[in-house]
Amino acid sequence: MGGSLYQRIEKECEEHISAALRSLVGQSPDLVVFLSLVEKCWQDLCDQMLMIRGIALFLDRTYVKQNSNVRSLWDMGLQLFRKHLSLAPEVEHKTVTGLLRMIESERLGEAVDRTLLNHLLKMFTALGIYSESFEKPFLECTSEFYAAEGMKYMQQSDVPDYLKHVEMRLHEENERCFLYLDAITRKPLIATAERQLLESHIPAILDKGFMTLMDGHRIEDLQRMYSLFSRASLDSVLEESFSKNEAFCNTIKDSFEHLINLRQNRPAELIAKFLDEKLRAGNKGISEEELEGTLDKVLVLFRFIQGKDVFEAFYKKDLAKRLLLGKSASIDAEKSMISKLKTECGSQFTNKLEGMFKDIELSKEINESFKQSSQARMKLPSGIEMSVHVLTTGYWPTYPPMDVRLPHELNVYQDIFKEFYLSKYSGRRLMWQNSLGHCVLKADFPKGKKELAVSLFQTVVLMLFNDAQKLSFLDIKDSTGIEDKELRRTLQSLACGKVRVLQKFPKGRDVEDDDSFIFNEGFTAPLYRIKVNAIQMKETVEENTSTTERVFQDRQYQVDAAIVRIMKTRKVLSHTLLITELFQQLKFPIKPADLKKRIESLIDREYLERDKNNPQIYNYLA
Amino acid sequence: MPPRASKRKSAPPNSSSVTSSDGRSVLNKAKTKGMEKLDRLFNTYANSSLGMIDPEGIEALCADLGVDYTDVRILMLAWKLKAEKQGYFTQDEWQSGLKALGVDSLSKLKKVLPELEKEVEKPSNYEDFYIYAFRYCLTEEKQKSVDIESICELLNLVLGVQFRPQVDSLVEYLKVQNDYKVINADQWINFFRFCKEQISFPDLENYDETQAWPLILDNFVEWMRENQS
Repeated sequence: MGGSLYQRIEKECEEHISAALRSLVGQSPDLVVFLSLVEKCWQDLCDQMLMIRGIALFLDRTYVKQNSNVRSLWDMGLQLFRKHLSLAPEVEHKTVTGLLRMIESERLGEAVDRTLLNHLLKMFTALGIYSESFEKPFLECTSEFYAAEGMKYMQQSDVPDYLKHVEMRLHEENERCFLYLDAITRKPLIATAERQLLESHIPAILDKGFMTLMDGHRIEDLQRMYSLFSRASLDSVLEESFSKNEAFCNTIKDSFEHLINLRQNRPAELIAKFLDEKLRAGNKGISEEELEGTLDKVLVLFRFIQGKDVFEAFYKKDLAKRLLLGKSASIDAEKSMISKLKTECGSQFTNKLEGMFKDIELSKEINESFKQSSQARMKLPSGIEMSVHVLTTGYWPTYPPMDVRLPHELNVYQDIFKEFYLSKYSGRRLMWQNSLGHCVLKADFPKGKKELAVSLFQTVVLMLFNDAQKLSFLDIKDSTGIEDKELRRTLQSLACGKVRVLQKFPKGRDVEDDDSFIFNEGFTAPLYRIKVNAIQMKETVEENTSTTERVFQDRQYQVDAAIVRIMKTRKVLSHTLLITELFQQLKFPIKPADLKKRIESLIDREYLERDKNNPQIYNYLA
Repeated sequence: MPPRASKRKSAPPNSSSVTSSDGRSVLNKAKTKGMEKLDRLFNTYANSSLGMIDPEGIEALCADLGVDYTDVRILMLAWKLKAEKQGYFTQDEWQSGLKALGVDSLSKLKKVLPELEKEVEKPSNYEDFYIYAFRYCLTEEKQKSVDIESICELLNLVLGVQFRPQVDSLVEYLKVQNDYKVINADQWINFFRFCKEQISFPDLENYDETQAWPLILDNFVEWMRENQS
């Protein structure tokens, strides 16, 4: 009884379904309209089958279950639909074409009916024909589309814009998978897009754009480039054989690394600068999470830098400035960056940086006890607030010693602190770094009292005007003992900038030998406390060059030390073996020519000699 | 330039041979006689206040020998004399050197010059002479290097005959390059090695910069290769 009922239902359904599908043949030349008809047809089928199933539920649950070769009513409906769809191939074909056209339109910027797409693609999936009938032609279409677009855009746009466009497209295709495509299409779809938009253009992109991005310090663009490239290689690799896997990945990595390091120390310097900007206070509304994310991204680039010692030098210099001037946006962020670097490079790399933090914290304690100390309480005049950062040499960057003749009072204060400090920590030597000091000076202008936040050098110059109304450049130079270039910079900052506490005669931007300066009687400003920007805050080009030079100088010492160390152990060693050993031991990039230079220098200084009988061999000279 | 006026002592003629039980005295007498001759010759050119032959004296000697004072043979003579200081011959150097040459008069000295050349050119001596030539230019105390100009002259003088093409190119390079303003002993000796080891010239195909050649030669070879292409 169940069987005959089933068969009669099946027959009815079949008749109905075949008629419905046949009616679609030849319908509507407009594809979108056609698709709607198909959708309606499908929707009706689903509704109807549900209803039938609902009515014949008992049949489903007994007869169907008891007979393994009999499909459920629902499945039966699907199967019939599929069968008759295949009997009307033009319907299926037209449907697929319609879908592909819609997607193409959307890619070209038109708004399309996503729900329609969604439903029809679900239909394909339900019918079990998604992969064969839709996905395959879809991926082919996608490939063609992006091949053409890739070529067009590469010609039209510059590299950063192109990469942004690619990123946007990949995002779009991803979205497409959420909105209407089946999830299984995501991987092959992205791979196809990447292949056409990126891989075929990698050489051109690198050729055209890489140097420009490096020159322009465009870290974010570079990050985008790297993340797109590394994704591209990974995804396509999954399609190719496993054996090509690592080699390909490594090739991309290696070429990226090679390119990054073609510019020698620039990447290291740029990355350090980028970090400085991010870690400095004044970053408008960047959340902690965002900052963390940025730091992680920077680390990805960091891994590619050879010569990380250059990075360390710049990072250290900038960190020192931030710590000493209290310019860090967040100490937590700073410490987070250090621990990330530690994980990357080991503790040796970050020891000194951590030491700098310790010094700052220790200095806080020292200042507390200094305030309470007898020396401070009895000898420091009231109204003078003094705080000192005590830095352990070796942790901090080397600051070139800068001469200055401090006014008597300041010398006294320094001595008071020194006495206090040495009473607590005997056996230490304190060296004042006057170039780093800063003060808040109370100034009595006729138009109102002000507080001036100035550098120590600026202070020394200004205090001269306590005893004189007008001073010549040479007078000031004599009294302060400040080095010529530095003094001109200092006077410029006081008399030629935005805040003119002094006036210069004759007027002009540069400080000449026969200029004179007077206290600016007419000085006025809206705020009470005014910062007079010393030019030491900005990084000069000279500073950067000298930092790099110091690193290179330091590398020279390291090479010399390594050569002597190796030769002392081996006593006799061939040139080639010595070079090999050096490349293994030295952690920064260096050319064989530079190694030769150091070897020759050591020969000249009689640490080693060339063997008389075999010129390829060096002998250690004890 | 006429020879300096000096006191010429005329030795008493001593033609009879004196035999004695002590054969040494004869030899000594002969030695003394020989030395006296050398001394006389020495004094012809020596600066009496200095007690040695100075640059003027050497110039005079050259004139008498019929040789230009920039001639390489004078350098060879200095080498043979093991002269320490450029432009000066001490009495000891003079005596031992001329004795080693087996000459005791100006004419004999003149005649022996070609032999001296041959001796220097012997492979066993040449490198020694070559190194000597460099040291001879270190006129200041503690000086370790020689300026490019002088090195070029020296190269011409010492290696020019045997290795004309190499020397010509090397001299041209040294004059145009900027990396080095002076040459030290190590670089000097390696110039010779470069020529001696038959680095094929001018294609330089068998030159290998990964070997222990000084950097200046690597740069020279690179320059040559660039200029050839």
